[in-house]
Amino acid sequence: MIFFENLIHILYFVMAGLVLLSMLKSLFKRKKNQGVVFDIMYAYCLIPFLLRILYIK
Amino acid sequence: MEKKSLIIKIVVLVLALVLALLSGIEFWQLRHYKETIVASEDLTEVKWFSDYVPSLKNTWMDTPVFIFDSGVEGGTVFVCGCPHPYEPASTMAAYLMIENLHVEKGKIIIVPRANYSGSTEGMVGDAYPMFFHVSSDWGISQYRIGDRYTNPLDQWPDPFTYVNYPSGQNLAYQDIRNLNRTYPGRENGTLTERAAYAVMEIIRQENVDMAIDMHEAEILYPVTSTYVAPAKVLDRETFLETGEMNYYEPEKSSLDVAMMAGMNLSDQFLMKSASSPNTLHGLSHREWADWSDSLTFLMETPEIFIDKITGPRTEALMTEGKDEFLQKVTDKGLTYFPYDMEFGTPMWYRTGRHLTGALEVIFWAGFFYPEMEVQVTWPTYLEMEELEKQGVDSIGYYLKDPEAAENKDRAFTIYHKPVGENYDKY
Repeated sequence: MIFFENLIHILYFVMAGLVLLSMLKSLFKRKKNQGVVFDIMYAYCLIPFLLRILYIK
Repeated sequence: MEKKSLIIKIVVLVLALVLALLSGIEFWQLRHYKETIVASEDLTEVKWFSDYVPSLKNTWMDTPVFIFDSGVEGGTVFVCGCPHPYEPASTMAAYLMIENLHVEKGKIIIVPRANYSGSTEGMVGDAYPMFFHVSSDWGISQYRIGDRYTNPLDQWPDPFTYVNYPSGQNLAYQDIRNLNRTYPGRENGTLTERAAYAVMEIIRQENVDMAIDMHEAEILYPVTSTYVAPAKVLDRETFLETGEMNYYEPEKSSLDVAMMAGMNLSDQFLMKSASSPNTLHGLSHREWADWSDSLTFLMETPEIFIDKITGPRTEALMTEGKDEFLQKVTDKGLTYFPYDMEFGTPMWYRTGRHLTGALEVIFWAGFFYPEMEVQVTWPTYLEMEELEKQGVDSIGYYLKDPEAAENKDRAFTIYHKPVGENYDKY
Protein backbone atom coordinates (compact mmCIF):
# COMPACT_ATOMS: atom_id res chain seq x y z
CA MET A 1 0.00 0.00 0.00
CA ILE A 2 2.85 2.37 0.79
CA PHE A 3 4.25 1.64 -2.68
CA PHE A 4 0.96 2.68 -4.32
CA GLU A 5 0.71 5.76 -2.07
CA ASN A 6 4.18 6.81 -3.23
CA LEU A 7 3.43 6.00 -6.86
CA ILE A 8 0.25 8.11 -6.87
CA HIS A 9 2.15 10.90 -5.11
CA ILE A 10 4.83 10.87 -7.83
CA LEU A 11 2.22 10.68 -10.60
CA TYR A 12 0.60 13.85 -9.27
CA PHE A 13 3.97 15.62 -9.43
CA VAL A 14 4.30 14.43 -13.02
CA MET A 15 0.81 15.78 -13.72
CA ALA A 16 1.82 19.12 -12.21
CA GLY A 17 4.79 19.13 -14.58
CA LEU A 18 2.55 18.40 -17.56
CA VAL A 19 0.19 21.24 -16.61
CA LEU A 20 3.22 23.51 -16.31
CA LEU A 21 4.40 22.57 -19.80
CA SER A 22 0.90 23.01 -21.18
CA MET A 23 0.68 26.53 -19.73
CA LEU A 24 4.10 27.37 -21.04
CA LYS A 25 3.05 26.22 -24.50
CA SER A 26 -0.19 28.21 -24.28
CA LEU A 27 1.75 31.31 -23.24
CA PHE A 28 3.78 31.27 -26.44
CA LYS A 29 1.52 29.49 -28.88
CA ARG A 30 -2.25 29.73 -28.81
CA LYS A 31 -5.00 30.42 -31.34
CA LYS A 32 -7.59 32.26 -29.25
CA ASN A 33 -7.34 35.01 -26.61
CA GLN A 34 -4.23 36.67 -27.98
CA GLY A 35 -4.19 39.70 -25.64
CA VAL A 36 -1.44 40.60 -23.17
CA VAL A 37 -3.86 39.98 -20.30
CA PHE A 38 -3.90 36.30 -21.24
CA ASP A 39 -0.10 36.26 -21.43
CA ILE A 40 -0.04 37.54 -17.86
CA MET A 41 -2.68 35.01 -16.79
CA TYR A 42 -0.79 32.04 -18.22
CA ALA A 43 2.54 33.21 -16.79
CA TYR A 44 1.05 33.88 -13.35
CA CYS A 45 -0.88 30.62 -13.19
CA LEU A 46 2.16 28.50 -13.89
CA ILE A 47 3.88 29.70 -10.67
CA PRO A 48 2.20 27.18 -8.27
CA PHE A 49 2.90 24.31 -10.66
CA LEU A 50 6.53 25.37 -10.94
CA LEU A 51 6.88 25.58 -7.16
CA ARG A 52 5.22 22.19 -6.80
CA ILE A 53 7.51 20.33 -9.17
CA LEU A 54 10.52 22.01 -7.55
CA TYR A 55 9.26 20.55 -4.24
CA ILE A 56 9.03 23.99 -2.65
CA LYS A 57 5.29 24.55 -2.13
CA MET B 1 4.42 35.44 -34.05
CA GLU B 2 5.37 39.09 -34.17
CA LYS B 3 8.70 40.00 -32.64
CA LYS B 4 7.01 42.56 -30.34
CA SER B 5 4.51 39.99 -29.12
CA LEU B 6 7.29 37.49 -28.43
CA ILE B 7 9.22 40.05 -26.39
CA ILE B 8 6.11 40.83 -24.31
CA LYS B 9 5.59 37.14 -23.61
CA ILE B 10 9.21 36.68 -22.57
CA VAL B 11 9.05 39.75 -20.30
CA VAL B 12 5.83 38.48 -18.68
CA LEU B 13 7.37 35.05 -18.19
CA VAL B 14 10.51 36.52 -16.63
CA LEU B 15 8.37 38.62 -14.26
CA ALA B 16 6.42 35.49 -13.28
CA LEU B 17 9.68 33.64 -12.66
CA VAL B 18 10.91 36.51 -10.47
CA LEU B 19 7.66 36.30 -8.49
CA ALA B 20 8.09 32.54 -8.23
CA LEU B 21 11.66 33.03 -7.02
CA LEU B 22 10.68 35.60 -4.38
CA SER B 23 7.79 33.52 -3.01
CA GLY B 24 9.79 30.33 -3.43
CA ILE B 25 12.60 31.65 -1.23
CA GLU B 26 10.15 32.32 1.60
CA PHE B 27 8.44 28.94 1.22
CA TRP B 28 11.84 27.23 1.14
CA GLN B 29 12.95 29.09 4.28
CA LEU B 30 9.83 28.00 6.14
CA ARG B 31 10.21 24.42 4.91
CA HIS B 32 13.85 24.07 5.94
CA TYR B 33 14.12 26.26 9.05
CA LYS B 34 15.54 24.28 11.95
CA GLU B 35 14.74 24.99 15.59
CA THR B 36 17.27 24.05 18.27
CA ILE B 37 16.53 23.16 21.87
CA VAL B 38 18.65 22.21 24.87
CA ALA B 39 17.46 19.08 26.65
CA SER B 40 17.61 18.94 30.43
CA GLU B 41 20.28 16.86 32.15
CA ASP B 42 17.64 14.22 32.90
CA LEU B 43 17.50 13.14 29.25
CA THR B 44 18.26 9.43 28.97
CA GLU B 45 17.35 8.45 25.40
CA VAL B 46 16.27 9.87 22.07
CA LYS B 47 14.25 7.75 19.68
CA TRP B 48 12.48 8.59 16.42
CA PHE B 49 9.04 7.82 15.02
CA SER B 50 10.90 5.59 12.53
CA ASP B 51 12.08 3.38 15.43
CA TYR B 52 8.41 2.46 15.85
CA VAL B 53 7.35 2.58 12.18
CA PRO B 54 10.45 1.98 10.01
CA SER B 55 8.80 3.19 6.79
CA LEU B 56 8.83 6.74 8.22
CA LYS B 57 12.62 6.88 7.99
CA ASN B 58 13.82 9.53 5.51
CA THR B 59 10.34 11.05 5.29
CA TRP B 60 9.29 14.51 6.49
CA MET B 61 7.07 12.84 9.08
CA ASP B 62 9.95 11.36 11.06
CA THR B 63 10.54 13.28 14.29
CA PRO B 64 12.54 12.92 17.52
CA VAL B 65 11.10 11.40 20.69
CA PHE B 66 12.78 12.55 23.93
CA ILE B 67 12.79 10.11 26.85
CA PHE B 68 13.54 10.99 30.45
CA ASP B 69 13.73 7.93 32.70
CA SER B 70 14.30 8.54 36.41
CA GLY B 71 15.31 4.93 36.95
CA VAL B 72 12.84 4.81 39.83
CA GLU B 73 9.83 2.56 39.28
CA GLY B 74 6.65 4.52 38.65
CA GLY B 75 4.29 5.46 35.90
CA THR B 76 5.10 6.47 32.32
CA VAL B 77 3.77 9.70 30.81
CA PHE B 78 3.60 10.49 27.10
CA VAL B 79 3.25 14.13 26.06
CA CYS B 80 2.40 14.98 22.46
CA GLY B 81 3.32 18.47 21.21
CA CYS B 82 2.46 19.92 17.81
CA PRO B 83 -0.19 17.49 16.60
CA HIS B 84 -1.57 20.62 14.88
CA PRO B 85 1.41 22.86 14.14
CA TYR B 86 -0.69 26.04 13.87
CA GLU B 87 -1.34 25.67 17.61
CA PRO B 88 2.24 26.54 18.61
CA ALA B 89 1.78 26.93 22.39
CA SER B 90 1.70 23.15 22.34
CA THR B 91 5.21 23.04 20.86
CA MET B 92 6.47 25.79 23.18
CA ALA B 93 5.17 23.86 26.20
CA ALA B 94 6.89 20.70 24.96
CA TYR B 95 10.15 22.63 24.43
CA LEU B 96 9.99 24.15 27.92
CA MET B 97 9.32 20.70 29.39
CA ILE B 98 12.27 19.16 27.54
CA GLU B 99 14.62 22.00 28.52
CA ASN B 100 13.67 22.25 32.21
CA LEU B 101 12.32 18.84 33.17
CA HIS B 102 13.46 17.07 36.33
CA VAL B 103 11.98 13.65 36.96
CA GLU B 104 12.43 11.84 40.28
CA LYS B 105 10.04 8.95 39.79
CA GLY B 106 8.74 7.27 36.64
CA LYS B 107 9.39 8.07 33.00
CA ILE B 108 8.44 10.97 30.72
CA ILE B 109 8.31 10.69 26.92
CA ILE B 110 7.91 13.91 24.92
CA VAL B 111 7.40 14.46 21.19
CA PRO B 112 7.71 18.22 20.57
CA ARG B 113 6.73 18.17 16.88
CA ALA B 114 4.41 15.25 16.24
CA ASN B 115 3.41 16.44 12.75
CA TYR B 116 6.78 17.67 11.55
CA SER B 117 5.67 17.88 7.93
CA GLY B 118 2.71 20.08 8.85
CA SER B 119 5.00 22.54 10.61
CA THR B 120 6.85 23.25 7.36
CA GLU B 121 4.11 25.25 5.62
CA GLY B 122 1.37 27.76 6.44
CA MET B 123 -2.42 27.37 6.07
CA VAL B 124 -3.49 27.61 2.44
CA GLY B 125 -5.36 30.87 1.87
CA ASP B 126 -4.67 32.21 5.37
CA ALA B 127 -2.00 34.85 4.97
CA TYR B 128 -0.13 34.96 8.25
CA PRO B 129 3.46 35.29 9.41
CA MET B 130 5.73 32.27 9.03
CA PHE B 131 7.46 32.69 12.38
CA PHE B 132 7.07 34.13 15.85
CA HIS B 133 9.89 35.20 18.15
CA VAL B 134 10.80 34.87 21.82
CA SER B 135 13.28 37.14 23.60
CA SER B 136 15.74 35.80 26.12
CA ASP B 137 18.70 37.35 27.93
CA TRP B 138 20.94 35.57 25.45
CA GLY B 139 19.13 36.49 22.23
CA ILE B 140 15.99 36.05 20.15
CA SER B 141 14.69 32.62 19.19
CA GLN B 142 12.53 32.04 16.14
CA TYR B 143 9.80 29.39 15.89
CA ARG B 144 7.56 28.30 13.04
CA ILE B 145 3.80 28.81 12.87
CA GLY B 146 2.75 25.87 10.75
CA ASP B 147 -0.36 24.37 9.22
CA ARG B 148 -3.13 22.23 10.68
CA TYR B 149 -2.44 19.48 8.16
CA THR B 150 0.46 17.45 6.79
CA ASN B 151 2.21 19.36 4.00
CA PRO B 152 0.79 18.35 0.57
CA LEU B 153 4.40 18.16 -0.66
CA ASP B 154 4.65 15.02 1.46
CA GLN B 155 1.15 13.56 1.15
CA TRP B 156 -0.91 14.33 -1.93
CA PRO B 157 -3.58 14.08 -3.39
CA ASP B 158 -6.49 14.06 -0.92
CA PRO B 159 -9.40 11.69 -1.56
CA PHE B 160 -12.98 12.85 -2.14
CA THR B 161 -13.91 11.56 1.32
CA TYR B 162 -11.56 10.38 4.02
CA VAL B 163 -12.59 7.16 5.73
CA ASN B 164 -11.03 6.70 9.16
CA TYR B 165 -9.51 3.30 9.85
CA PRO B 166 -10.70 1.06 11.47
CA SER B 167 -13.93 2.82 12.53
CA GLY B 168 -15.06 3.33 8.92
CA GLN B 169 -16.33 6.80 9.78
CA ASN B 170 -16.45 9.31 6.92
CA LEU B 171 -14.62 12.55 7.65
CA ALA B 172 -13.78 15.67 5.64
CA TYR B 173 -11.40 14.95 2.75
CA GLN B 174 -8.56 17.09 4.09
CA ASP B 175 -8.65 15.24 7.42
CA ILE B 176 -6.66 12.46 5.78
CA ARG B 177 -3.72 14.82 6.43
CA ASN B 178 -4.88 15.70 9.97
CA LEU B 179 -2.87 13.78 12.56
CA ASN B 180 -5.65 14.18 15.12
CA ARG B 181 -8.22 12.55 12.83
CA THR B 182 -6.14 9.60 11.69
CA TYR B 183 -5.66 7.72 14.97
CA PRO B 184 -5.15 4.85 15.62
CA GLY B 185 -3.41 4.91 12.26
CA ARG B 186 -2.07 2.16 10.06
CA GLU B 187 1.43 0.77 9.75
CA ASN B 188 1.07 0.63 5.97
CA GLY B 189 -1.25 3.63 5.49
CA THR B 190 -0.73 7.19 4.33
CA LEU B 191 2.14 9.20 5.75
CA THR B 192 -0.15 10.79 8.37
CA GLU B 193 -1.71 7.44 9.28
CA ARG B 194 1.77 6.01 9.77
CA ALA B 195 2.72 8.90 12.07
CA ALA B 196 -0.50 8.26 14.01
CA TYR B 197 0.44 4.59 14.20
CA ALA B 198 3.91 5.57 15.48
CA VAL B 199 2.26 7.53 18.32
CA MET B 200 0.10 4.50 19.14
CA GLU B 201 3.17 2.26 19.11
CA ILE B 202 5.00 4.61 21.50
CA ILE B 203 2.03 4.39 23.87
CA ARG B 204 1.80 0.60 23.57
CA GLN B 205 5.48 -0.38 23.42
CA GLU B 206 6.59 1.98 26.19
CA ASN B 207 3.64 0.90 28.40
CA VAL B 208 2.44 4.47 28.77
CA ASP B 209 0.09 5.02 31.72
CA MET B 210 -0.93 8.60 30.93
CA ALA B 211 -1.00 10.11 27.45
CA ILE B 212 -1.44 13.86 27.10
CA ASP B 213 -2.19 15.57 23.78
CA MET B 214 -1.63 19.35 23.72
CA HIS B 215 -3.79 21.51 21.44
CA GLU B 216 -5.16 25.02 21.09
CA ALA B 217 -8.65 26.03 20.02
CA GLU B 218 -10.66 29.01 18.79
CA ILE B 219 -12.73 30.70 21.50
CA LEU B 220 -15.74 30.43 19.20
CA TYR B 221 -15.35 26.65 19.55
CA PRO B 222 -17.08 25.14 22.62
CA VAL B 223 -14.20 22.82 23.50
CA THR B 224 -11.73 25.63 24.15
CA SER B 225 -9.98 25.89 27.51
CA THR B 226 -10.91 22.29 28.22
CA TYR B 227 -9.66 18.84 29.12
CA VAL B 228 -11.24 16.17 26.92
CA ALA B 229 -11.08 12.62 28.27
CA PRO B 230 -13.04 9.42 27.65
CA ALA B 231 -15.65 8.23 30.12
CA LYS B 232 -15.94 4.91 28.29
CA VAL B 233 -13.58 2.92 26.08
CA LEU B 234 -14.00 0.48 23.23
CA ASP B 235 -14.33 -3.24 23.86
CA ARG B 236 -11.46 -4.07 21.48
CA GLU B 237 -11.91 -7.85 21.51
CA THR B 238 -15.57 -7.67 20.48
CA PHE B 239 -14.79 -5.10 17.80
CA LEU B 240 -12.00 -7.19 16.30
CA GLU B 241 -14.18 -10.32 16.33
CA THR B 242 -17.51 -8.90 15.22
CA GLY B 243 -16.97 -5.30 14.09
CA GLU B 244 -19.47 -4.09 16.72
CA MET B 245 -18.46 -1.00 18.67
CA ASN B 246 -19.41 -1.53 22.31
CA TYR B 247 -18.14 0.78 25.01
CA TYR B 248 -17.65 0.15 28.71
CA GLU B 249 -16.51 2.15 31.74
CA PRO B 250 -12.86 1.29 32.39
CA GLU B 251 -11.53 0.57 35.87
CA LYS B 252 -9.29 3.62 35.68
CA SER B 253 -11.09 6.73 34.54
CA SER B 254 -9.34 9.49 32.59
CA LEU B 255 -12.42 11.68 32.94
CA ASP B 256 -12.36 11.46 36.75
CA VAL B 257 -8.73 12.57 36.73
CA ALA B 258 -9.44 15.39 34.24
CA MET B 259 -12.41 16.68 36.26
CA MET B 260 -10.39 16.70 39.47
CA ALA B 261 -7.52 18.48 37.73
CA GLY B 262 -9.88 21.02 36.17
CA MET B 263 -11.56 21.79 39.50
CA ASN B 264 -8.22 22.18 41.21
CA LEU B 265 -7.01 24.62 38.56
CA SER B 266 -10.02 26.91 38.94
CA ASP B 267 -8.12 29.40 41.11
CA GLN B 268 -5.46 29.76 38.38
CA PHE B 269 -7.41 29.65 35.09
CA LEU B 270 -10.61 28.28 33.62
CA MET B 271 -10.23 24.62 32.60
CA LYS B 272 -13.43 22.80 31.75
CA SER B 273 -13.77 19.04 31.39
CA ALA B 274 -15.58 17.29 28.56
CA SER B 275 -16.27 13.65 27.87
CA SER B 276 -14.91 12.28 24.61
CA PRO B 277 -17.83 11.24 22.37
CA ASN B 278 -17.95 7.53 21.47
CA THR B 279 -19.11 8.35 17.96
CA LEU B 280 -16.42 10.77 16.80
CA HIS B 281 -13.39 8.84 15.58
CA GLY B 282 -9.79 9.52 14.71
CA LEU B 283 -9.11 11.86 17.65
CA SER B 284 -6.47 11.17 20.29
CA HIS B 285 -8.82 11.38 23.27
CA ARG B 286 -10.96 8.64 21.68
CA GLU B 287 -8.54 6.34 19.84
CA TRP B 288 -5.56 6.43 22.23
CA ALA B 289 -7.86 5.16 24.97
CA ASP B 290 -9.64 2.67 22.69
CA TRP B 291 -6.44 1.13 21.25
CA SER B 292 -4.15 1.17 24.30
CA ASP B 293 -4.49 0.80 28.05
CA SER B 294 -3.37 4.34 28.90
CA LEU B 295 -5.33 7.11 30.54
CA THR B 296 -5.86 9.72 27.85
CA PHE B 297 -6.21 13.50 28.02
CA LEU B 298 -6.46 16.21 25.40
CA MET B 299 -5.89 19.80 26.52
CA GLU B 300 -7.12 22.89 24.67
CA THR B 301 -5.97 26.46 25.37
CA PRO B 302 -7.71 29.54 23.93
CA GLU B 303 -5.89 30.62 20.74
CA ILE B 304 -7.72 33.53 19.10
CA PHE B 305 -5.25 33.57 16.19
CA ILE B 306 -7.20 30.72 14.60
CA ASP B 307 -10.64 32.26 15.16
CA LYS B 308 -11.97 33.22 11.75
CA ILE B 309 -13.28 36.69 12.60
CA THR B 310 -10.18 38.46 13.87
CA GLY B 311 -8.46 41.47 12.39
CA PRO B 312 -5.12 41.09 10.59
CA ARG B 313 -3.28 37.90 11.44
CA THR B 314 0.00 39.32 12.62
CA GLU B 315 2.76 37.97 14.82
CA ALA B 316 1.39 40.16 17.62
CA LEU B 317 -2.01 38.48 17.30
CA MET B 318 -0.28 35.12 17.77
CA THR B 319 1.93 36.16 20.69
CA GLU B 320 -0.37 38.65 22.46
CA GLY B 321 -3.85 37.62 21.33
CA LYS B 322 -5.53 41.02 21.42
CA ASP B 323 -8.41 41.58 19.00
CA GLU B 324 -11.26 44.09 19.13
CA PHE B 325 -13.61 42.00 16.97
CA LEU B 326 -13.44 39.03 19.31
CA GLN B 327 -13.98 41.40 22.25
CA LYS B 328 -17.23 42.59 20.67
CA VAL B 329 -18.35 39.02 20.04
CA THR B 330 -17.44 38.06 23.61
CA ASP B 331 -19.38 41.06 24.95
CA LYS B 332 -22.42 39.66 23.14
CA GLY B 333 -21.94 36.33 24.89
CA LEU B 334 -21.06 34.39 21.77
CA THR B 335 -17.66 32.95 22.77
CA TYR B 336 -16.82 30.03 25.02
CA PHE B 337 -14.05 31.78 26.92
CA PRO B 338 -14.20 34.92 29.09
CA TYR B 339 -12.05 36.88 26.67
CA ASP B 340 -10.65 40.21 27.82
CA MET B 341 -8.81 42.21 25.19
CA GLU B 342 -6.82 44.10 27.81
CA PHE B 343 -5.08 40.86 28.76
CA GLY B 344 -5.54 38.96 25.49
CA THR B 345 -4.40 35.36 25.21
CA PRO B 346 -0.62 35.77 25.20
CA MET B 347 1.71 32.95 24.25
CA TRP B 348 3.14 32.68 27.78
CA TYR B 349 -0.39 32.30 29.20
CA ARG B 350 -1.28 29.49 26.78
CA THR B 351 2.08 27.79 27.23
CA GLY B 352 1.86 28.06 31.02
CA ARG B 353 -1.62 26.57 30.95
CA HIS B 354 -0.31 23.50 29.11
CA LEU B 355 2.62 23.13 31.49
CA THR B 356 0.47 23.28 34.60
CA GLY B 357 -2.45 21.45 32.96
CA ALA B 358 -0.17 18.48 32.27
CA LEU B 359 1.35 18.53 35.77
CA GLU B 360 -2.12 18.57 37.26
CA VAL B 361 -3.35 15.43 35.48
CA ILE B 362 -0.06 13.67 36.23
CA PHE B 363 -0.50 14.51 39.92
CA TRP B 364 -4.13 13.43 40.14
CA ALA B 365 -3.60 10.25 38.12
CA GLY B 366 -0.90 9.28 40.62
CA PHE B 367 -3.17 10.25 43.50
CA PHE B 368 -6.04 8.07 42.24
CA TYR B 369 -3.87 5.21 41.00
CA PRO B 370 -0.63 5.12 43.06
CA GLU B 371 1.03 2.49 40.84
CA MET B 372 1.25 5.06 38.05
CA GLU B 373 2.64 7.88 40.19
CA VAL B 374 5.21 10.10 38.47
CA GLN B 375 7.18 12.82 40.22
CA VAL B 376 8.27 15.49 37.78
CA THR B 377 8.82 19.23 37.74
CA TRP B 378 8.99 21.85 34.99
CA PRO B 379 8.03 25.54 34.89
CA THR B 380 4.48 26.26 35.99
CA TYR B 381 1.78 28.73 35.05
CA LEU B 382 2.11 30.57 38.37
CA GLU B 383 5.88 30.90 38.05
CA MET B 384 5.49 32.30 34.55
CA GLU B 385 2.75 34.68 35.69
CA GLU B 386 5.03 36.00 38.43
CA LEU B 387 7.83 36.62 35.92
CA GLU B 388 5.45 38.41 33.56
CA LYS B 389 4.34 40.70 36.40
CA GLN B 390 8.00 41.66 36.78
CA GLY B 391 8.18 42.50 33.08
CA VAL B 392 10.22 39.39 32.17
CA ASP B 393 9.41 37.33 29.07
CA SER B 394 8.68 34.12 30.95
CA ILE B 395 9.09 31.80 27.95
CA GLY B 396 12.46 33.35 27.10
CA TYR B 397 13.45 33.11 30.76
CA TYR B 398 13.15 29.32 30.69
CA LEU B 399 14.74 28.79 27.27
CA LYS B 400 18.40 27.83 27.25
CA ASP B 401 21.06 29.14 24.89
CA PRO B 402 22.08 26.30 22.55
CA GLU B 403 25.31 28.14 21.74
CA ALA B 404 26.46 28.39 25.38
CA ALA B 405 29.42 26.12 26.13
CA GLU B 406 27.65 24.38 29.01
CA ASN B 407 24.66 23.51 26.77
CA LYS B 408 26.36 22.39 23.57
CA ASP B 409 26.40 18.72 24.55
CA ARG B 410 22.63 18.73 25.01
CA ALA B 411 21.59 20.94 22.08
CA PHE B 412 19.29 19.17 19.62
CA THR B 413 18.22 20.43 16.24
CA ILE B 414 14.58 19.58 15.63
CA TYR B 415 14.30 18.32 12.08
CA HIS B 416 12.90 15.30 10.27
CA LYS B 417 16.26 13.55 10.48
CA PRO B 418 19.17 13.71 12.93
CA VAL B 419 21.30 16.83 12.56
CA GLY B 420 24.51 17.20 14.56
CA GLU B 421 26.42 14.77 16.74
CA ASN B 422 24.33 14.91 19.90
CA TYR B 423 21.70 12.48 18.64
CA ASP B 424 24.43 9.82 18.34
CA LYS B 425 25.17 10.11 22.07
CA TYR B 426 21.64 9.08 23.04
